Amino acid sequence: MIASALELYRYRYLLRMLTVRELTVRYRQTILGAAWSVLLPLTMMAVFTFVFTKAVQIPSLNNLDVPYPLFALAGLVPWTFFAGSLNQCSNSLVANRNLVTKVYFPREVFPLSCVASLLVDFLIASAVAAGCAGYYALQGRFTPRIGLPCITLPIILGIQILLTVGAGLLLSMANLFYRDVRQALQIGIQLLMFVSAVVVPLPAMDTLWGRLLAWNPLVPLFSSYRDALLFGTWPSPAGLVYSAVVSVLIFLCGWAAFRRASASFAERI
Amino acid sequence: MEVPVQVVGVSKSFRLGKARHAVLNLFSLGKHRLLPGSREPSLSTFWAVEDLNFSVSAGASLGVIGPNGAGKSTVLRLLAGILHPDRGCISVRGRLTALIEVGAGFHPDLTGRENIFLHGAILGMGRVEIRSKLSAIVDFAGVGPFLDVPVKRYSSGMYARLGFSIAAHVDPNVLLVDEVLSVGDAVFRLRCLERMRDLLRGGTTLIFVTHNLEQLQAICDRTIVLEKGRAVFDGPSREAVRAYLDAAARSAPSHSTDLPEAADAGGPIRNASLCFFDDSGKETGSIHPHRPFHVEFRFHSVRQVLRPVMELNLRAPTGERLASFNTGRDDWVVSVQPGSNRFELHVAALQLAAGHYFWNVRIWDGESGRTLLDSQMSFPIFVEDSGDATGQLSVKHDWVALAGSRTLGTVRMSSPVAQAKDVEANREALLLR
Repeated sequence: MIASALELYRYRYLLRMLTVRELTVRYRQTILGAAWSVLLPLTMMAVFTFVFTKAVQIPSLNNLDVPYPLFALAGLVPWTFFAGSLNQCSNSLVANRNLVTKVYFPREVFPLSCVASLLVDFLIASAVAAGCAGYYALQGRFTPRIGLPCITLPIILGIQILLTVGAGLLLSMANLFYRDVRQALQIGIQLLMFVSAVVVPLPAMDTLWGRLLAWNPLVPLFSSYRDALLFGTWPSPAGLVYSAVVSVLIFLCGWAAFRRASASFAERI
Repeated sequence: MEVPVQVVGVSKSFRLGKARHAVLNLFSLGKHRLLPGSREPSLSTFWAVEDLNFSVSAGASLGVIGPNGAGKSTVLRLLAGILHPDRGCISVRGRLTALIEVGAGFHPDLTGRENIFLHGAILGMGRVEIRSKLSAIVDFAGVGPFLDVPVKRYSSGMYARLGFSIAAHVDPNVLLVDEVLSVGDAVFRLRCLERMRDLLRGGTTLIFVTHNLEQLQAICDRTIVLEKGRAVFDGPSREAVRAYLDAAARSAPSHSTDLPEAADAGGPIRNASLCFFDDSGKETGSIHPHRPFHVEFRFHSVRQVLRPVMELNLRAPTGERLASFNTGRDDWVVSVQPGSNRFELHVAALQLAAGHYFWNVRIWDGESGRTLLDSQMSFPIFVEDSGDATGQLSVKHDWVALAGSRTLGTVRMSSPVAQAKDVEANREALLLR
């Protein structure tokens, strides 16, 4: 595993070039360019804001002390990063069939470059979300509470990246062997969004729904982002530790499985 | 000293048919049972490479030839680490670059410059290295004015030239080349060979897969002939090429082939065949380029043709006509009688380089101009290696010393110097192509 890591390190420039390729190709010959990376979370924010505050009234949203659009964005921006990464990773090996069968280099670079390119999108979207928060603050409807808890942000993001890469490695490999994976993933992502408390507050732990959500390693991540950024409180350490342990496990298993299987990629693709 | 490339007892198999895991069989089996008569395709194993052994030392070049499907590309992919052997082991020391498909890593939407960096990275170069070689790569490929144009607008020649140029500048310890020099024009091909020779001189180990026997002999000192995944010959390139051509001649279809009935069912000419006889009158399928031989043309005619024009054409495997023998142009008048007819064509010497050629025959009615017979590439013939020629022709020749030197006799050249001269001569022959 250390040898693989060293080999990957030797190919770091390739990883960078593939990430640049992903980004360039995604937004070349488009009119809006990188604005597309922000439009998805912004649209979803608008839809959920309309549905939850105008169409149907959700009681638990009334006692939020931040504007709902900001609350939704704080979940949607990292969610878009996660879901988009899995989607792209699952196709990354198959889409690069030409390279997989013709040139040797560590195959991990394909899913890794997908995650990296979406991380760039995530950072752009985060900046726009920060702009939205500034707008609400100027209007006096939101009091920014940027404080010490913000130092946990890199840790939260780090855990999320680890989880994303682990799942991305598994999915890219699985989709190479069985193309069903990509189809199933589309459904899975839709379902996962509803059990990840992306746009709604956490339900109470004593309900069935609450206990179900507690198993999801994404839930502590999304609520930690909100705690640190919107409410100015320290995220729950227990939740983060749980997420971190699950993420490390998925990452290690995913990588080991990917390494083992990569020898047969060229003939099974 | 450690050998850069060592292959010991390597075998590689592929599974034919659909490979499925037990779990997924549950789904597909149900489906198959619904279709009457259809069964699960049986799995069989195909050995693409079997028990291969060789090693190549630093600065040496190894050629790999063989008919289609002999496992040449599989060998390269095993060496490159893309495939893994089922048995045996492969060790490659140092940086390896595989030119298996030129420009496999190109993205059509990116510009030439962007693709140089991307493809360079794919081949294992770092940013500093690519930047320092950028101008050399661009000059070599000759795409300077189009550097900032997306490669989707490149001509296929430019695309291939850029791809080769990047790979040729990696400075690998081991370079694998698979049939890529067929791209580009003659000048570029020559430049590629030049570059490969530069790399060899610099100590790069080269493994070269090709169907172009000229290029092979121009580059490689040693060649392996593969047949059905096994190495059937391993030795000096010249002998390897001869072994390969001999084997190909043996497996070529019989030298006198009857035309398929359908081809001439409508006309009066039936059962046309060509047979070849050497100067001793023995029927043969392979002829010597410098010796006389004759072709016997037999056919059956259902009616009389008063003024037929018969033509025998000698063609290269590509279909290109190399020589044409025509009774009309030779003012040789003869009539075709009902029943069987036989004619002979006598040729002094064919003077062609070793290889496979084909004859086809045509007969017209000289009065009506109607085609009575037109066979396509039907009659194969093999021309033997005269041993003293490279290039496309094997011309009978003699040397005479007039002044300043004395003929000392003839020595069969086999020293390294002589081989180097051979290689040089081959290179010139390529230029002439």
